[in-house]
Amino acid sequence: MRPTAALLGLLALAASWGRPALAQTPAEQLARGVRSYQNLDFDNAAATLRAALARTGPAALSDTEQARGLVYLGATELYRGRRDSAAAAFGRLLFRDPRYRVDQLLFPPEVTGLFQQVRITTRAAAVVATPLTQLRRAGDHLVVWVYTASSQPVNVAVLRANGVPLRSLYQGEVADSLQISWDGRAADGSLADSGRYLLRVDSRGDDGRVVRSVGLRLDVMQVRRDTLPLPLPLADSLLSPEFRPGSSGRRGLMTGLAAATAVVVLPSVLASKAGGMSERFVVALALGTAGLYGFQVQRRPQPIPENIAANQALRLAWQRQADSVSAENAARRRNIGLTIRAGVWRPVAGQ
Amino acid sequence: MSARVAALALACILVARPLAAQGPRFVDVEADLSRARFRSAVPGGGEALSGLVLGVRARTSFRAVSLEASYAQGRLSAGEGSGPSRSVVDGSLFVSTLPVPWLTLKAGPQLRAYVAPGGTERWVMWEFRARAETPIASPALSLRAHVEVWAALVSSVNADPGAAGARGGQAGMVMGLPRSPLWLRLSYAVDQVKMKDNARTEALEAVVLTIGLGGR
Repeated sequence: MRPTAALLGLLALAASWGRPALAQTPAEQLARGVRSYQNLDFDNAAATLRAALARTGPAALSDTEQARGLVYLGATELYRGRRDSAAAAFGRLLFRDPRYRVDQLLFPPEVTGLFQQVRITTRAAAVVATPLTQLRRAGDHLVVWVYTASSQPVNVAVLRANGVPLRSLYQGEVADSLQISWDGRAADGSLADSGRYLLRVDSRGDDGRVVRSVGLRLDVMQVRRDTLPLPLPLADSLLSPEFRPGSSGRRGLMTGLAAATAVVVLPSVLASKAGGMSERFVVALALGTAGLYGFQVQRRPQPIPENIAANQALRLAWQRQADSVSAENAARRRNIGLTIRAGVWRPVAGQ
Repeated sequence: MSARVAALALACILVARPLAAQGPRFVDVEADLSRARFRSAVPGGGEALSGLVLGVRARTSFRAVSLEASYAQGRLSAGEGSGPSRSVVDGSLFVSTLPVPWLTLKAGPQLRAYVAPGGTERWVMWEFRARAETPIASPALSLRAHVEVWAALVSSVNADPGAAGARGGQAGMVMGLPRSPLWLRLSYAVDQVKMKDNARTEALEAVVLTIGLGGR
């Protein structure tokens, strides 16, 4: 039993000895690779760093860790005498982050020198935009920054989801970085429809051909401001009655008839010697007719001028308010805003 | 009757609505055309004349108190331009007030002259007038009826045996057009003056068509 137990113990020890290496996280592998580099164990460092950088999925290195791993890998390969592999690691690093620069305090001049050579010849670009931009009025725009590893000609354009260009934003040389803006409109000046767009940056080689493209996803949504409700119609309770019920009309009739009678009898009462001219009956007839007219008119509902004027003022004020709201709503319908959500840039084509 | 009675009536009106510290509110004017008939009756006879009389009137108001002046002139004849004729000239100056909205009280002198080839007969009458005015229909077409009566508190004439009294009246209607300062008035007026001892009675009546601007 003893030899068997010893064998089993050795197997268990071997298993427990190997497990930590297999269970190491990429970050731990990265740290181990860096330590190997610092201990001048370049072969072990290269293997460990490559293993750490090869990890994908949720356990993969973060962007910062990957950049650190690549710069140590490039330095390691340089000291292993593999200059091309070192340049490839630095190129890979620059494609990931064109703005990356090697720390001259950590690495010797031969490393930083190679990195510099690679950087100058690498056509790498990155594009960044404000994550959320709202274009509400004229003059508002989406701000985009383009970063390049080296001075290079670039084309910046917004493309529709199907790849059809919507608008070219920039064509020219970028030495280090460039800030450009997009007002959310197509080349013909029309507002971009809601949908997905791609802001693409093409890096061109010395021969003018596109050597690499990176893109930024833009989700555009048209935003219409809510219109204001029209003021409520004037309630009847706010309006004064404009008519009062008609009277019996007898007063107008009696007044007319009394005046007509006065015309007829005045000569007899006041001037017995006048005789009374027959033309006065015309006046009497006119008064009698006016009395009948008054009888008819006074029976109708009688307008109340002060109430009509007050109601008119209320209606006018309401109409002014409604017109103001209508004008504001028309302006709101005309002024459509945009909400633009920008993603993270990704390589689109090229290396 | 005496001049003191007339002066007292005028003073009463002025005291009722003092003019002091009241500025003029508005002025209205009117012009009228009258078909007039004059009748003179003496014991055993008389004459009748008729014709057209043109007149103007202006009134300025101090709140409820108004000052009104009028002038009218025309020619009266026996008929068709033949026979005896007279020119009639009439002028008046009244102070008026409205104790209630429908009633106007007036007082003031009225002068009338009949100009004939044989001489001019001049009457001076200090009158007191009361005028009632009330609407018949409104407001689309404003129609108002009025009745006015007057009596001379003091009267005089430059003919023997002198004046014994005078009185008269008027009735008619005023039509105001909506949203217009113009108005029309159709009225009938009559007055009669007497001389002492019933020596003579003169009556003047007219159908008057008036167009006015402002006021009513």
